[in-house]
Amino acid sequence: MSPGSVQRTSALIAWRLLPAVPFAIVLVAWMAFWVIFKPNRATLPPVSDVVEVVWTRALDGDLLQHILASLWRLFLGAAVGIVTGIAGGFVAGLYRRVSDFLNPLIVFFNAISGIVWLPLMIGWLGIGTALAVFLIWNTVFFIVFQNTVLGVQLVPEVYEQGIQALGGGRLETIRTVTLPGALPYILTGIRSGLGFGWRALIAAELVGAPNGIGQMIFAAADYHRSDIIIAGCLIIGCIAIAMDRWILAPIEQRTIRRWGLIIDVAKEN
Amino acid sequence: MTASTAAPALAPRGSGLVAAVMSALGGLKILLPFALLTAIWWAIKIEAQLSDQILVSPAAVWNAFIQLASHGVLAEYASTSLRMIGISTVISMAVGVPIGFAVGVNRTAAHALEGFLRFLQSISGIAWLPLAIIWFGFSQTTTLVIVIYSLIVPIIFNTMVGVRAIPENYALALRSLGAGRLRLVTDVYLPGALPSIVVGLRLGMGYGWRALIAAEMLVRQGGLGDLIFGARTFNQIDRIITGMICIGCLYIIIDRLIVQPIENLTVARWGLLRK
Repeated sequence: MSPGSVQRTSALIAWRLLPAVPFAIVLVAWMAFWVIFKPNRATLPPVSDVVEVVWTRALDGDLLQHILASLWRLFLGAAVGIVTGIAGGFVAGLYRRVSDFLNPLIVFFNAISGIVWLPLMIGWLGIGTALAVFLIWNTVFFIVFQNTVLGVQLVPEVYEQGIQALGGGRLETIRTVTLPGALPYILTGIRSGLGFGWRALIAAELVGAPNGIGQMIFAAADYHRSDIIIAGCLIIGCIAIAMDRWILAPIEQRTIRRWGLIIDVAKEN
Repeated sequence: MTASTAAPALAPRGSGLVAAVMSALGGLKILLPFALLTAIWWAIKIEAQLSDQILVSPAAVWNAFIQLASHGVLAEYASTSLRMIGISTVISMAVGVPIGFAVGVNRTAAHALEGFLRFLQSISGIAWLPLAIIWFGFSQTTTLVIVIYSLIVPIIFNTMVGVRAIPENYALALRSLGAGRLRLVTDVYLPGALPSIVVGLRLGMGYGWRALIAAEMLVRQGGLGDLIFGARTFNQIDRIITGMICIGCLYIIIDRLIVQPIENLTVARWGLLRK
């Protein structure tokens, strides 16, 4: 191997490792802070405590139970939210009158989507999965709905007319033109909706659930176990990143490649 | 008879009248769905004979609103929330945008920090709330820290992305014409990144407002979240619904009257984002 290529590969490795640097800096600063100032363990635990708590909780299955409880709620709420959001979005997107009529309601209820419903819904649904599922549904629905409406409305009418001129019926037109055309928008909506939904779930679990990751960290606050809180926060971040990177981003990418351009509207909410 | 004499007199102002009627109809069109919803709500309340512990009538909500508003309670809770989101937004913009710029102009720094910022954005502010309560107690500082965290990460991230997305040629062109660093920032980077910054602000507002309400519920130091969560303890459904309506209206006002005009302005001015 020539010295030049060695240099190039090492530069490439350095470039690959670069994103890890901020994490390493925070870790080192945290350790240094702990060594120098010796803070109260309840205020800021040493890194080793956090690692240990993840390790022991992972071993006794406790952690997995909380994570599974949270993911199950997210799955239920998101599934219902996506299905109702797409269905409603198609109806509103295809019938101008419906969307005109519903629009003020959508704007208003979107403004109070999610956690704002918690106090009212605790009374109606009690504490538990139903409450969390409702809050996630509520959050996901509006984002998916709005993106679906936009996607459906932006499909050029010429394409629809083209299919109709060739003798396609209404359903045929929706299946072959409107759905594929709106799909990139719908997927952006789902991706952004899940981001908001995951946040709503954690917030809901803080007070409105007997278990789950959110409840784990909130219960830990009562005993001033900041090691559990920090561990929980890191796990929350890892799960969200993993979901986005390995499930949602690939699906979205594939759709973009298949059907073309995507415009960033998801962040409109 | 009177009608026929009145008609010619009205004719010259006919267009004004039509416009007035049209705008009244427009207002009606917005209110109609809400009127329908209220009617359904009232019908359910009466037909199902629900007790006030489960659902109150719209009239009860109206009474609660009048009561809260006339005692100044509502204004106090609402102004606490508004002050919080206002202070957080100003601090987040003032700190986040310069950081985003500093990181964005440097390719290495941007690459290094992108993953870290993504990770932070994935941990919602509310997840840090228990830790913030341990550190800062049940105080407004806790709420403020959580809301700023929720707001600032998307702002830094999108500022950075916006700066990175500017074609380097623009900066090079200006520099070859002898522009200094400051000119480069004001003439290339700022206008180029602004649409993306506004996207970040809007997303941050979405996260921040929800984090604010949730934090207020748990910290219980004033604010509309405190109002509706406190009302839960005494099962005052009328107060909860009043608070929810206020939260919705306030968010719409913030979004429509402040964030959206800024966005429209940047779009009109620089035409990069599409609606």
